[in-house]
Amino acid sequence: MAMVVENVGQLGFPYWSPVRRRFGPDAPFFASGNIERELVAKQVALDLTEDEKQHLQHMENEESRGVYCPIVGCGAHLNSLEDFEDHYSSRHTASCSVCSRVYPTSRLLSIHVSEAHDSFFQAKVARGFAMYECLVEGCAMKLKDYRSRQQHLIDKHKFPASFEFLKKARPSKKQRQKCLRKQAVHKREEASSAMQVEEETIDSLVSAVSKLSTVDSPSSISFGHRNTRGFAFVPRAVRRERPDSSPAGAKR
Amino acid sequence: MADEGLSPHRRDPIKSSVGNVAAHRRRQHAVTVGKERREALMRTKRLCRVGVSGDADVPLDSDMIIDEEQSILEDQTTTAVEELKLAVAYRGKGVMQKRVIALRDLRRLLSRSEYPPVEAGLKAGVVHLLVQCLSFGSPDEQLLEAAWCLTNIAAGKPEETKALLPALPLLIAHLGEKSSLPVAEQCAWALGNVAGEGEELRNVLLSQGALPPLAKMILPNKGSTVRTAAWALSNLIKGPDPKAATELVRIDGVLDAILQHLRKADDELATEVAWVVVYLSALSNVATSMLVKSDLLQLLVERLATSNSLQLLIPVLRSLGNLVASDAHTTNAVLVAGHEITGNVVAALIKCLKSEHRVLKKESTWVLSNIAAGSVEHKQLIYSSEAVPLLLRLLSTAPFDIRKEVAYVLGCLPGFIDLVRSADTEAARLGLQFMELVLRGMPNGDGPKLVEREDGIDAMERFQFHENEDLRNMANELVDKYFGEDYGLDE
Repeated sequence: MAMVVENVGQLGFPYWSPVRRRFGPDAPFFASGNIERELVAKQVALDLTEDEKQHLQHMENEESRGVYCPIVGCGAHLNSLEDFEDHYSSRHTASCSVCSRVYPTSRLLSIHVSEAHDSFFQAKVARGFAMYECLVEGCAMKLKDYRSRQQHLIDKHKFPASFEFLKKARPSKKQRQKCLRKQAVHKREEASSAMQVEEETIDSLVSAVSKLSTVDSPSSISFGHRNTRGFAFVPRAVRRERPDSSPAGAKR
Repeated sequence: MADEGLSPHRRDPIKSSVGNVAAHRRRQHAVTVGKERREALMRTKRLCRVGVSGDADVPLDSDMIIDEEQSILEDQTTTAVEELKLAVAYRGKGVMQKRVIALRDLRRLLSRSEYPPVEAGLKAGVVHLLVQCLSFGSPDEQLLEAAWCLTNIAAGKPEETKALLPALPLLIAHLGEKSSLPVAEQCAWALGNVAGEGEELRNVLLSQGALPPLAKMILPNKGSTVRTAAWALSNLIKGPDPKAATELVRIDGVLDAILQHLRKADDELATEVAWVVVYLSALSNVATSMLVKSDLLQLLVERLATSNSLQLLIPVLRSLGNLVASDAHTTNAVLVAGHEITGNVVAALIKCLKSEHRVLKKESTWVLSNIAAGSVEHKQLIYSSEAVPLLLRLLSTAPFDIRKEVAYVLGCLPGFIDLVRSADTEAARLGLQFMELVLRGMPNGDGPKLVEREDGIDAMERFQFHENEDLRNMANELVDKYFGEDYGLDE
């Protein structure tokens, strides 16, 4: 009987008025229920076995319909209406109308368009407004230039230091020249040495190329198929604001 | 996990030539992996499902062969990574094709067995290449293969999962609404593996903004990707920091999506969604109060009552338990004794009590104890139900941890003895009835000792001269039977 008393004592019938007991998800109380779940914490994506492949093959041979994407220049073949809708919404509604780059979200596309093709955007940047949005949706931060935005992503959002996926678009020749002039005028200090070298390289390329072409060549000529539509129009008002003279050091 | 049949409601099969093989085939196999992995872990044996030459099954007990094949696999992986490096650097004609082929070869090496040759791949510098293959505007095929490779790399050891750090922003970006569904799903899968690794990586993902796009993927208008996304989401919000859970429930459409899936989805999807609810209810008070005000409780009870899938029952029961435990509103306003839902809850819990499964028994007892901790009416409801005899039986047969929970339920005993002392006749009757159950039902004669310790004898003796004849008789019978002349003599 002593054993029994011990048992009862061990069970520790609570004498106090019972309260609700709450446990966190990692509490030992839930350990046995969690075992199965832990096993699927990570999942490998495996190939099918031969049998399953054959079965699939069999199913596929029975279906031969499909639809070709009607968008000019695309011609992709899709096997069902659902696939086509998928294809359409991913390929034909998230691409930049200026340079044809494709983005996985509307937001990234719109950021790209502002930063790469909008002279208004550049004008505001030049005047010191913080225009470069943080790429993480929900973070309302805006930074003054590309580099600071990179740094913000690394510091605040734990992006890898090697990260670089919203690269500036390759601007037209005219754009590049404008860009360099602006930089010289406003003396941006934060450009790292790497950036300087890159721009100087571009700059030397630009001057080499400009020696090849005539003075009156239209601004829409550029290299690479993506820029064929180029950025043709820059409002005169904006252009006139910049002084034409290039201070020493801006160009070689 | 579901069985291995191909589900007929999938999208149309895609032709088996170079294009789009990846999406369909890999997706269909997702389901069986969990099961195999479990079995493999349980057996603690390495399993190489397909020999490197082709598809012959390798006998399990020839470890020598497996080792040799593994090393061949590793060499092939190194070679494949070299090929990929060349393909990525290549600038000529047919570059897209070259890349896809190189990626596909690598992917095949990484998806043959449960133990892909990840280390060999990492040593050869594969992640950096895969990141390049994820750049925007790449063809879907390329994105898919690259994401698949990353998925399997992330499924391994902690340091291997961590190796994905440079790829995370891109994987997150490709969850976007403009991505094709198979691509988004594969990225979600990879991210789910990363989140499943641990708190540190979870925090990185959350900082990088993984939550909103992943949450949008569980909205009901998207087909088969929902399950993968829900699984990944459950890994992402599991804490211990409650911030993610709170943020998730506030996203537009999420709560409705959760309810709809619990209402209508098949067992597999409902299971994943239920785990999301487990973490929401365990971690976030904001979530809990929102959930309780919806008809979630109803849906959970229905699933509990109708389902027989252990995989589903566990998180559903746990969610119910969490809601009852954390929100006073639940027991006070929703589970009011006498309301139909309350009766349904108790009935569902009793079904779990009767189950063979230890986890269901233990956790349903826990939930009952939390309900019993509520008002007198709640106690009344429970103690007048089938629950008590079941609980008493558990007290003698169940393992210690379950018995402990039963103790919590029955630990309302002192409250009952107070009831016996109550002036209210009905309350007193209830108290006596419960005491009778305890006296009769507790094993090893513990009943009388317990009642005595709680001054139950004293309480009963008061009835000996009570005006109510029934109560008088009841009390007297109990005293005579259990505390008669022989009592105390065995000591």
